[in-house]
Amino acid sequence: MATNLASMAVEAPASRRARRRIGGVTISAWVGVVTLAVAAIAGLIVLLVPSLRHLWTAQDLRSTFLGPLSPGHPLGTDNLGRDLLWRTLAGLGVSAGVGVGVALLAVSLGLMVGIIGGFFGRAADVATNVVIDVTWAFPAILLAVLFAGWLGPGLLTVVLALALTEWAGFSRIIRGEVLSLRERDYVSAARVLGRGRVAISLRHFVPNLMPVTMVLAVYFVAVAIVAEAGLSFLGLGAQPPMPSLGSALAQGRDYLTRTWWPVILAGGVLTLTVLLLNSVSDQLREHFDPRIGRRR
Amino acid sequence: MAYALKRIGYAVLIMFLASLVTFAALRIAPGSAVTAILDPARTPPDVIERYKEELGLNLPIWQQYLHYMSGVLRGDFGTSLFDRRPVIDLIAEAAMYTVVLALAAFVLAFGLGVPAGVLSALHRGSWFDRIVRWFTSALMSIPNFVLALLLVAILGVKWKLLPVSGASAPINLVLPAIVLAADPWSLTTRVTRTAVVEQLGADFTRTLRARGVSRQSIHWRHVLRNALSPVVSLGSVQIRTLLGYTLIVEVIFRWPGLGSQLVQAILKRDYPVASALALLLALVVVIASTVGDLLLRAVDPRIRSSKEVVA
Repeated sequence: MATNLASMAVEAPASRRARRRIGGVTISAWVGVVTLAVAAIAGLIVLLVPSLRHLWTAQDLRSTFLGPLSPGHPLGTDNLGRDLLWRTLAGLGVSAGVGVGVALLAVSLGLMVGIIGGFFGRAADVATNVVIDVTWAFPAILLAVLFAGWLGPGLLTVVLALALTEWAGFSRIIRGEVLSLRERDYVSAARVLGRGRVAISLRHFVPNLMPVTMVLAVYFVAVAIVAEAGLSFLGLGAQPPMPSLGSALAQGRDYLTRTWWPVILAGGVLTLTVLLLNSVSDQLREHFDPRIGRRR
Repeated sequence: MAYALKRIGYAVLIMFLASLVTFAALRIAPGSAVTAILDPARTPPDVIERYKEELGLNLPIWQQYLHYMSGVLRGDFGTSLFDRRPVIDLIAEAAMYTVVLALAAFVLAFGLGVPAGVLSALHRGSWFDRIVRWFTSALMSIPNFVLALLLVAILGVKWKLLPVSGASAPINLVLPAIVLAADPWSLTTRVTRTAVVEQLGADFTRTLRARGVSRQSIHWRHVLRNALSPVVSLGSVQIRTLLGYTLIVEVIFRWPGLGSQLVQAILKRDYPVASALALLLALVVVIASTVGDLLLRAVDPRIRSSKEVVA
């Protein structure tokens, strides 16, 4: 993974092996392209499956609790005889949708509030800090649960609730970055030229904040996916028959004495997804900030 | 001292705003306290009006808030919409369970995390260090409810070693405490390890070594003391995380604490209970972060001179 991401950067130092070429293109670039293509196809499938309702709602009560590698059901079936391959894929699609939605909202809100806090004067700084501290007074899952209570359980609630809690920590980081960015010479130059604060924020801060934003956005996707599963597990997220890894776990728990398979499957997929996203986030961080990579 | 007063004042401000949030949650909630009790389609409007008057719901919103807060300060959070019992009684019943569980997890996380982190850092690259690092990153990737289900499946259902639900005996505490502690333990170990490694490589450590100060003395008197502050600041953050996780862990293990009560209240749309619990948890978090900040200044003089964000 490290080589893939590094290869995408123009100035990244390629290792000797990676510099060998096939058809005029370096090997590491090939690996990068192939990885991206596979990721794109996987993403497309996963986002498409939730709309193919008949695949993951079809029940067959004569073949419930099938194990993996059963004929017709490569990953077995659940307590209602529904195909676990389709349900898991659809659940992943729901996770991905929620994760991306939360990350987009949290990042936009956090960027805005962080820049306002760091660049729009002392009063704005104090005010945004108070808002962040109030948000932080409630444990994240608690806020999400309260939201689910307000708006009724459902995926939209989950997205809103998670976005409205996750932005706070991100905003603090952005504020810190802005505090150092605003001392740069080009910012002084822009101010002397009479540019307004909003214009400077958009022209200079936002592009310079992109690296840390991307690293944390990927991290938020992972956090949101786990939180969505947790809320759905509690019955506050996806409502049946909407597939979700969290509800699959809750269902699996009820039949643990009979079979472990659905729990192992949903739990394993969830854990692997988180592991993957976290490692992407780590690689991005190392890519943008080489100091961190070397320290290990 | 002046800082301490300012910090506490700030905490009070945050609590005031948090109380506004929970009050709003109570009022905005679909199905007000009235419609939860009386069916608006079948009850004559004048009965509903009378009931509203009785509950003080026809007063201006700020008067309602004052009414609510004066109740809260006297320990009166209203009555549960579900079984008509005073909310404070329900909380008192459940609080003990959550305190015991959270405390057990906190002790596990720090009691095992700090030594593991220190040992891991002092013996960097050893098999112990490698195992600790592998184990912590594995634990941090597994969502805690997945870990809970795995432990239930293996230790509870298969081997029948430990009880998996309820709170009838002290042994029931074991599984939920382990699950709750897993993530904070990993983080504590990691942070401690990083902090100690950083101090071991610091200039002052090299100077001490050059002056012939013994290894023991360097480690215990200088390195560990300097590595303390990130660990302390982690502690107050961890309390917030722990309280958040108790919601899920208590539900999984049917532990009758505040978390499972809160989830029940939300699922049953019992808003007085839910908002009271939210306010209580917020209070605990704000107190924890205030104490954490004050403690941090006590152990780390460097922070005292640095500029504060607020105050």
